[in-house]
Amino acid sequence: MPLTRAPHRSYARTPQRFRWANVLPWILLILAIAVSVLPFYWILRTSLSMNASLATNATSLLPVDFNFGAFARVFGLQSTQEAIAQGGSGADINFWVYLRNSVIFASISTAGAVFFSAMAAYAFARLRWRGRNVVFSAFLATMMVPPIFTALPNFLLIRDLGLLNTMVGMVLPFVFMTPFAVFFLRQFFLSMSREVEEAAMLDGAKHFRIFFQIILPNAAAPLATLALLTFIQQWNEYFWPLLVGNSDDVRVLTVGLGVFKSQSPQGAPDWSGLMAATLISALPVLTLFMIFGKKIVNSIGFSGVK
Amino acid sequence: MRASALGLLGAATLTLTACGGGGGGNGSSDALDYWLWDANQLPAYEQCAADFTESTGIDVNITQLGWDDYWSSLTNGFVAGTAPDVFTNHLSRYPEFVANSQLLSLDDVEATASVDTSIYNEGLAELWVAQDGKRYGLPKDWDTVAMFYNEQMIADAGYSAEDLENLTWNPDDGGTYEELIARLSVDQNGVRGDEDGFDPNNVAVYGLGLPGAGEGHGQTEWSYFTATTGWTHTDENPWGTHYNYDDPNFQQSMDWYASLVDKGYMPPLETTVGASMPDTFAAGKSAINVNGSWMIGQYTGYEGVDVSIAPTPVGPTGERASMFNGLADSIYAGTDQPEEAAQLVAYLGSADCQSVVAEAAVVFPAVSSAMDQATAAFADNGVDVSAFTTHVEDGTTFMFPITDHAAQIDGIMAPAMDAVVSGKTPASSLTEANEKVNALFE
Repeated sequence: MPLTRAPHRSYARTPQRFRWANVLPWILLILAIAVSVLPFYWILRTSLSMNASLATNATSLLPVDFNFGAFARVFGLQSTQEAIAQGGSGADINFWVYLRNSVIFASISTAGAVFFSAMAAYAFARLRWRGRNVVFSAFLATMMVPPIFTALPNFLLIRDLGLLNTMVGMVLPFVFMTPFAVFFLRQFFLSMSREVEEAAMLDGAKHFRIFFQIILPNAAAPLATLALLTFIQQWNEYFWPLLVGNSDDVRVLTVGLGVFKSQSPQGAPDWSGLMAATLISALPVLTLFMIFGKKIVNSIGFSGVK
Repeated sequence: MRASALGLLGAATLTLTACGGGGGGNGSSDALDYWLWDANQLPAYEQCAADFTESTGIDVNITQLGWDDYWSSLTNGFVAGTAPDVFTNHLSRYPEFVANSQLLSLDDVEATASVDTSIYNEGLAELWVAQDGKRYGLPKDWDTVAMFYNEQMIADAGYSAEDLENLTWNPDDGGTYEELIARLSVDQNGVRGDEDGFDPNNVAVYGLGLPGAGEGHGQTEWSYFTATTGWTHTDENPWGTHYNYDDPNFQQSMDWYASLVDKGYMPPLETTVGASMPDTFAAGKSAINVNGSWMIGQYTGYEGVDVSIAPTPVGPTGERASMFNGLADSIYAGTDQPEEAAQLVAYLGSADCQSVVAEAAVVFPAVSSAMDQATAAFADNGVDVSAFTTHVEDGTTFMFPITDHAAQIDGIMAPAMDAVVSGKTPASSLTEANEKVNALFE
């Protein structure tokens, strides 16, 4: 009985006793929260302001001339005249089209990259073949090549294939695999027990079946983690979609926002419109994080311990 | 499991193919693609495109891209063969495009070859004739520079609008112009720049806002000073082959310009990089901004600050000066429809379309006949634009320097000018940069 009561009592007493030693951590914690939340608040505050008044009230903590005009602008619900009257630039942003493109682009690249990387990782982790380690080292070495070096040759290849301004051309460099994904999954696959696999082989299962029915289901957590990480990365990808997908049909949100931001040289951006669009475009990823955040942390911890 | 995974893969492939088809088949195949960067002008040109389609039956797809991405996307398009049929071009870029055979000569296509160029403001059309004697653009607008000022701050400093129209400048002591911006500069303690005890290191309001160091042309930064000393960028214009950054007049002007930062009348260069000058002006951080006529809408659009416009000061030559620049529409050499593209270019540069642009009150139209219309449209919005037009009426404009190697020249001059304006080196260092620039032409 005392064993269970003692911690209970001390738990109840702690808040009443003030300890100087606790002050500093609390201050640091509050500061850290403020520092990470404040930018989001500032985005929200700016997006709810009227752009024409924003600059003259630059230090106001609350939205300036509170209104939802910036959001209306982003969703294409505002006429050009209204937009200019509110301090917008007159540029419109095809938000729903760009959002659709971003979802397609990020989803296809993610689905493809995770699936094919899993196959490759399986080959590197569970199959025995001559030169496996050499190939794997060479493969890992490609992680050292900065993407900027491959951008131009890739661009020319995509051009020669006639795939510019198509979704195929946009996802092609990402859809098959990334060295990081293969490396990440290989580490996990290496740790899986061989007995189950051998039992399946005795039952007559071939590699294909083992891969789909044993390896993949058992790797659900790392696969989900990888999928989320890849999705976020693809969602934020800017350079390649800018190079390859300039037509409105395939332009993704990041590129759309970049175009929306810079208008004529020396001109000031439509800050409230830009912040409204940024806020909305961050929502899908934030939602994914809220749903799967814990799973990611767990799975990373899990694979690390093993 | 296997079946569903394969199904997923199949579905993904289908989606891929579907999207590919959708991306390639954008609109009808014979629609013309037209690009521009200025969103403020987009509504006017959408109207022009609609009128054009109505009279010719040729569809036009307009794409607007911000200035930063515009040129890289365009260059990509040239390489990839996906550049727009017609696009808005800039004087600083087109010589390079011509040199790389990326533009179609407008003399080679009927619709543009027959255009009477005397309808344009004097000098604008000639800028687009390259060294090979062929025309590569039809003018659509022009711009000059002037001073946007904060009415309240000017009044507080004891100046009137009339005073601002009669300013003089010289590179020795800055003339009444420097007196003005000194008076307008206020430090954190409320001491003005022309009073004792002014602290140049803690300035609350700068007399003059600085958009940058101006690279090699200084259009809105210093060219309206340097030109009033009789200095010119190049030995001849267009197509000069010798730059004059080693000229003592020029270097003295630049030393004076850089000294404004030391004196606390202009913000240090590093604090203006990445900042928007109009926004800081509206926030009350500077009293005067010199900028181009294409910025009228931006400066007069702010709520809560009263803005007026005054012409640039008179210099040692006894005259004002402003760079005269203008945009034009060009045709991509790889277009499948040169004749239709030429029809569009001719229409966008015609009095009909220019009158639509004038009504929109965003820029000055290149066609002279639409000028009064534009001035009236600006006046309807409560903006007196005479500070910009006075240069054209008085003949005090000089042309944007057009030469080969523009990109390399910027590459040399941008850091050299930054070093001077940020006070790292005296303007005499520009002699060395000038040698590098002129070596490009040997």
